[in-house]
Amino acid sequence: MRFRAKIVDLACLNHFSRIINTIAKLAKTCILRLTVCKLYFILSDKVANGGASMWCELSQGNFFDEFQMEGVAAEHNEIYLELMPENLSRALKTSQSAKAVKIKLTNKHCPCLRVAVELPSLSSSSRIVTHDIPVGVIPRRMWNDFREPSVPDFDVSIYLPVLKTMKSVVERMKNLSNFIVIEANLNGEMNLKIETDLVSVTTHFKDLGNPPWASEDGCQSSAQGRDLESMAEACIDIKKLQQLLAGQQVNPTKALCNIVRKRIVHFILLQEEVSLQYFIPAIA
Amino acid sequence: AAMKCVIGGAQLRVFGRAIHAIARISDEFWFDPIEKGLALRSVNSSRSAYACVFFSSMFFQHYCWTAVSQPCQQEQQLSLPCKLIIKSVLPVFRCANVLERNVEKCSISTNPSEHHITFQLLCRHGVVKTYNLTFQECDPLQAVFAKHMCPNILRVHSRLLADVMIHFPTSQEEITLSVTPMKVCFKSYTEEDTDFSRTMLTEIQLSPEEFDYFQVGVDSEVTFCLKELRGLLAFSEATSVPVSIHFDRCGKPIAFSIEDLLLEASFILATLCEAEKEAASPEPACCPRPWDSKADTATSKKLQQKGNTPSVDSAKPPSALAKQEVKNIPRGKEREVPGRAGAATAEAAGGKATEAPYEKNSYLYKYCIFQFHSLFFGAVSYKEKEAIGDTFQSLVTASDTEEEFGALQSSPV
Repeated sequence: MRFRAKIVDLACLNHFSRIINTIAKLAKTCILRLTVCKLYFILSDKVANGGASMWCELSQGNFFDEFQMEGVAAEHNEIYLELMPENLSRALKTSQSAKAVKIKLTNKHCPCLRVAVELPSLSSSSRIVTHDIPVGVIPRRMWNDFREPSVPDFDVSIYLPVLKTMKSVVERMKNLSNFIVIEANLNGEMNLKIETDLVSVTTHFKDLGNPPWASEDGCQSSAQGRDLESMAEACIDIKKLQQLLAGQQVNPTKALCNIVRKRIVHFILLQEEVSLQYFIPAIA
Repeated sequence: AAMKCVIGGAQLRVFGRAIHAIARISDEFWFDPIEKGLALRSVNSSRSAYACVFFSSMFFQHYCWTAVSQPCQQEQQLSLPCKLIIKSVLPVFRCANVLERNVEKCSISTNPSEHHITFQLLCRHGVVKTYNLTFQECDPLQAVFAKHMCPNILRVHSRLLADVMIHFPTSQEEITLSVTPMKVCFKSYTEEDTDFSRTMLTEIQLSPEEFDYFQVGVDSEVTFCLKELRGLLAFSEATSVPVSIHFDRCGKPIAFSIEDLLLEASFILATLCEAEKEAASPEPACCPRPWDSKADTATSKKLQQKGNTPSVDSAKPPSALAKQEVKNIPRGKEREVPGRAGAATAEAAGGKATEAPYEKNSYLYKYCIFQFHSLFFGAVSYKEKEAIGDTFQSLVTASDTEEEFGALQSSPV
């Protein structure tokens, strides 16, 4: 099992750091899956995570100048590592002006991702900062736990409002309640609602637009017969929603969510080089 | 002795940062005005860190010190060092960075007969903030450390050190500095039973060329407490004076100091002695001599180390302190010193070494070279709000002064 990668371009490095910062806001511990072409950050929906799960996918070619990987075996050319994204975020935090960043899988005292940042210095030789991030190697028999989640059979799919606006609304609501109801219809309307003994607050968004989903069996097209105004709602933990919104450092190209009435809300945030899916289960 | 001084303008930020730096060492500090200037000193409870910042009289816009002799004394008292609780002083210099913007001057004056030190901030728009702090009389505090005998000396601009330390998390307690004539390396400290599967380790390698002065007489690896150092780094950035690092092999203290015409600061930190980790029973220090109140020089007990010879040279700040007479004060209660040590911190009363309790999870810090005569009075009651009255004469009288009484709560020590 070997892994070696290098980033030289500063813009790529900053973008990669921002993605890691977003992941770090969503999960304390997650799985990093490495394949020849892609990196995945995965959080499975175990109870310990509060039921929320995450799937983030990036093409390595968009970020790394060098990327060499040898998986556990020839026919399973992948590596699954468990790590704390906060550590990776910290290691990259001070690499704003780096000449190069190298990441390598090593095993000195225990398996580690060694991040070596080469920084410019006053002298002829560079300053090298090395961070050893401990990782756990996930054995192949457990890889099935971390498969890509399928898109749920949703009732409504709708584009999200401007994330900055949504974030400030949710942040204020967070002070009043632990749960938030998110509801939307096929007419491009979305409401965010909180209700406590003392107060209830609803924020209405309209003209958001509904993304067209091409369905395999064509059942979505039968939406014509459905009531466009009918709202599908789910009540979710407000903190999870706030973490998702707070972690977004760059406006995604596309941001949408799929609501399964009273079951789950599936968020999809797409950028050119990276896609992030986040599932928040509904509170019963 | 009575002292009055005024700090103006840009120097306020420097002074404020000094207070903050000292605050990282301990909850209380020694406030020690002498003829040549003002010394602030602090030592932490486990005696593993000592800080001294000395501002020469030229640092101040105005500095005035007079010796006061009390009729009951035999000799003229040259100085009255006193102790202040740092939490009472910190609010005065809160937000040291913005002090300059709002505050025009700060004047400090001592009032020995009433056991006050008054800090007065003259702010813009005629606002005057006055803080009357009660102090505790005490004996002088002084550490002796022979910097010139250290084989390893580095000098570097504080910016570089700050750039190095930023890579370590703020929670990082100890770091290890490792030097050879070819390279310098700062790294996270690890001990034998570190759980590597849970700890992120960071290491920074620098070339000797990055240092203004680089002398490595002996390859060494010293581990010291980073938290205590961060204060000095912030302080030296405010002064933009380069930082000198003097050290030796592990186990011997490491000194970080800055020095220019106006001020001198030294932070002396104990370093971990790897080879000599002891298990259950720490070695006691040698039995101190009975307290001799007429002692001329700072020669109270020395903490002897296995294999480390304490230095006997006099330390900075100026030797006026070393020679001062200590007034004959009754013995206070023996001071308990909790904390990490294995080495005993011997106190004056009675002459029996007090052993600090051994803490299971930490390791021994062996100290050397601290010499203290330290006798503290029992609890002093802190008076809360005090009116200034007419006894204090302000250098600057602004019209429409609005006086705000600083509320001072004594923090449980």
